Amino acid sequence: MNAIPMRSLVRTLLCSVALGAFPLAQSDQKLIIEAGRIMTQAGPDIENGRILIEGGRITAIGTQAEVEKPWDALVLGGPKLVAFPGFVEAHTSQGMDRPNENIDVAPFLDIRDSIDPVAYFFEDCLRYGVTTINVQQGGNCVVGGRGMIVRPVGMTVEEMTVRPLFGMKLSTRPKSGKSRATQMQALRFAFDDLRTYLEDLVEKEKDEQGYAKREALFQGRDLEAEKAEGRALANATWKLEGLELIPRGALDERYAPLVELLEGRYTAFIHCNDPLDVDHALELARKHGLLAKTVLVLEDDCWKAAELIAEAGVPAVLEGSLTHVERDPITGVEKETFVPGVLHAKGVRFALSSEDPNTRAPAYQAALAVGGGLDRQTALDAVTKVPAEILGLGNEVGSLEKGKLANVLLFSGDPLSITAWVEHVVIEGKPVYERAKDLRNKHLLEGVQPPNTAPPSKADEEKEFEQGEHSDADKKDAEKDDKGNEKKDDAKDEKKEGGGR
Amino acid sequence: MWILAASLLASLPIPRLTLDGDGDWTIHAKVVYPVSGKPIEDGVVRVDGTKIAAVGKGGGGDLECAAVTPGFVDLAVQIDTGNASVEQTSESVARLSVAGGLDLFSDEWRRVLESGVTTALALPADFDVIGGLGVVLKTGGPTLLAARLVKGDAVLRGAIGSQPSSGNNAPRFVEPQNFYYRRPTTRMAVEWVFRKAFYDTLQGEGADDPEEAANQAVLRRVLAGELPLSIQAKATQDVRTAIYLKEEFKIPYVILDYAVEAWREPELLKRSGVAVVLPPFPPDGRHDDGFVNDSYFLPLDAAAQLHEQGVPFALSAHGQRGAGASLADQAGLAQRGGLPFEAALAAVTLDPARMVGVQARVGSIEVGKDADLVLWSGTPFEPTAHVIGVLLDGKLVLDPRSR
Repeated sequence: MNAIPMRSLVRTLLCSVALGAFPLAQSDQKLIIEAGRIMTQAGPDIENGRILIEGGRITAIGTQAEVEKPWDALVLGGPKLVAFPGFVEAHTSQGMDRPNENIDVAPFLDIRDSIDPVAYFFEDCLRYGVTTINVQQGGNCVVGGRGMIVRPVGMTVEEMTVRPLFGMKLSTRPKSGKSRATQMQALRFAFDDLRTYLEDLVEKEKDEQGYAKREALFQGRDLEAEKAEGRALANATWKLEGLELIPRGALDERYAPLVELLEGRYTAFIHCNDPLDVDHALELARKHGLLAKTVLVLEDDCWKAAELIAEAGVPAVLEGSLTHVERDPITGVEKETFVPGVLHAKGVRFALSSEDPNTRAPAYQAALAVGGGLDRQTALDAVTKVPAEILGLGNEVGSLEKGKLANVLLFSGDPLSITAWVEHVVIEGKPVYERAKDLRNKHLLEGVQPPNTAPPSKADEEKEFEQGEHSDADKKDAEKDDKGNEKKDDAKDEKKEGGGR
Repeated sequence: MWILAASLLASLPIPRLTLDGDGDWTIHAKVVYPVSGKPIEDGVVRVDGTKIAAVGKGGGGDLECAAVTPGFVDLAVQIDTGNASVEQTSESVARLSVAGGLDLFSDEWRRVLESGVTTALALPADFDVIGGLGVVLKTGGPTLLAARLVKGDAVLRGAIGSQPSSGNNAPRFVEPQNFYYRRPTTRMAVEWVFRKAFYDTLQGEGADDPEEAANQAVLRRVLAGELPLSIQAKATQDVRTAIYLKEEFKIPYVILDYAVEAWREPELLKRSGVAVVLPPFPPDGRHDDGFVNDSYFLPLDAAAQLHEQGVPFALSAHGQRGAGASLADQAGLAQRGGLPFEAALAAVTLDPARMVGVQARVGSIEVGKDADLVLWSGTPFEPTAHVIGVLLDGKLVLDPRSR
């Protein structure tokens, strides 16, 4: 059997079985976090609080009088620190080697293949306290492929995985080189094409040609085992007569992910750049019954369609700038719109995102949102609770509660203050970041060069100058080369001589 | 007389007076930050006409807010003095003033004003080695320079480094006198033009040309210490060159503007007695790759370092806009780098006012000074707080009640 389909089969099975998150490898080490204040985001703050963490989860949280400190626990924190739940990134297209494919409709792509665990982005996430990240293909697509939820820890994608094969990226914003008409046509065609394919499949099955089965066997897919998973499009809005004849395993891998999208297995993240994209996106979602699992990724002036979004009841991820600036085409007067304010006023549930390079840190985003007039809780929810819910991880992350994953940040002060720094990051009970040891941050703050990155010192430069091109090492290399050449020549001569004989 | 009145008022609650006109306001804030003195909790500032009439403790006012600070002073506001204002006939045009090239009708003024900047130093663009005279003006009010001017001939502007030579090409295959070929074309020549201008002034060389005589008259004022010399010096190399020039020609008063890497030369700064205008910090305290990879690097604690070393400095926004880029945001980011609040506040108000010699009129909340005030929704410079009101010369230009 071909190894590649087997791997993908195992992944598909894992994905369908695992409803919870993939845990980070755990030890038996208990961890205690102590803080002058715990901002649980699930009720009132706790003064002089203590969090007990076992097996990567919070097993007790309360005041230091309420929660006992086990004798064998590691202790982290201090009376001046503020504990806060790890920030959740509802949608990003960073952390990848190359974000997009040239293929317009590529639902079969898996972001797993693109994620770069050593990307600087993930290091930055720790610095800013982002502990759960939904990575999706970039917005420059028609159907971009499937994404995944990761934690910014680990040298392999497997280690980073919180939830594989999560979400599918679509875009109603014209892909580069496309007009709006061709973009919408390509989107429609993606689903029309699927329908044609399925109809074809049904037709062939009815004709008892067994085409699908033969094709599946040819591709090395285990038809019978997958049959147990049920029939394709079992729960979808789409109705296609005779589809019940088709076992899931018979679906071509290129089409299967779109079928799964229609079945509601993936949340659709639809990228919108203009208000009219919002309309198109909602129409698409309604038509294919995706509305319940649709999230709009908003840029630019999409806030103008806030009422449409509120009416549809879909959540949004705010990817553009918090303040939208527009010049009146007649008067030339500039108008500034505070986008989170509009969305909140219209009743849109939204998450802030760190995609805007000018305001990367979620704490800073939330603070600016408060500065813009949003109430504190809504702003904090937009970087914790709401994105957690968008990712279907509302019971796992986004607040500090008993039973939830122990993703905890320790700030040096009020998280929304300009002077507060993320001092410690704990992900699933593991201390993974400490500012005191963050040399790059030290460089940014104090101009101190991290080791091994400093330009050569004067002494080094002088040495280099003295050695120049005629260094000892070079000389040795030169000798070797000469010898090598000589030997070769000798060998040639010998051969020649041999040939002569 | 004023001092007596001020000290009396500072100690006594101010009785609420009936207002006699549009220009009169009583502003009540949880904290008033006068800059020139200690913060006054539950404070009141009374504005009479265009001036501050009283500062002290007290309840109630026409305008309520969380905090009041003086209007900000930005020594590098960059509004519509773009390429069109670059004199192309010579690289040394000390006699020209930016006043003639300012567009008071630009929309940018309103934006700057509503961000809390009430006084600004406008400078010629930095494509000439000695670009001309800068003026200090109010960012709002009547669209007449005479009405907005705080100080004409405030500084002479120069630039060291590669910017004045950028875009200049050596003439090839055409007549060297071609209009389109400007010199200098290298960093060395920039320095040479600078030095030549001052050397010629000392020698009286070429003074029979009336334009050159006018240039030299300005340069003589600089040499005499009557006019500060503001030099754009970004990299460490530029900072050094500027300081060496100051020492060579014994120029009494030099301001290093956009001094990204001044922090690398603390000893030189202290020895030379220059003042520094820092460029904006990148938003949320992170430097984009351009900064990191380039030879210019500004750590977040640059302001804190200068403060500790006792180097006079000001923060500036340098025309940047967007979230985290205003002058007030710079004061916040400087605090993130370790600068104390009081120093951050002074670095956007009284310190820059002193650097260009307008501290008698603006920069602090004191009786008799211009009624330029910024009203806050919370602790000044925190991203969670917002500028909700601005008064300029006693006129309410951003109304906190409309928010």
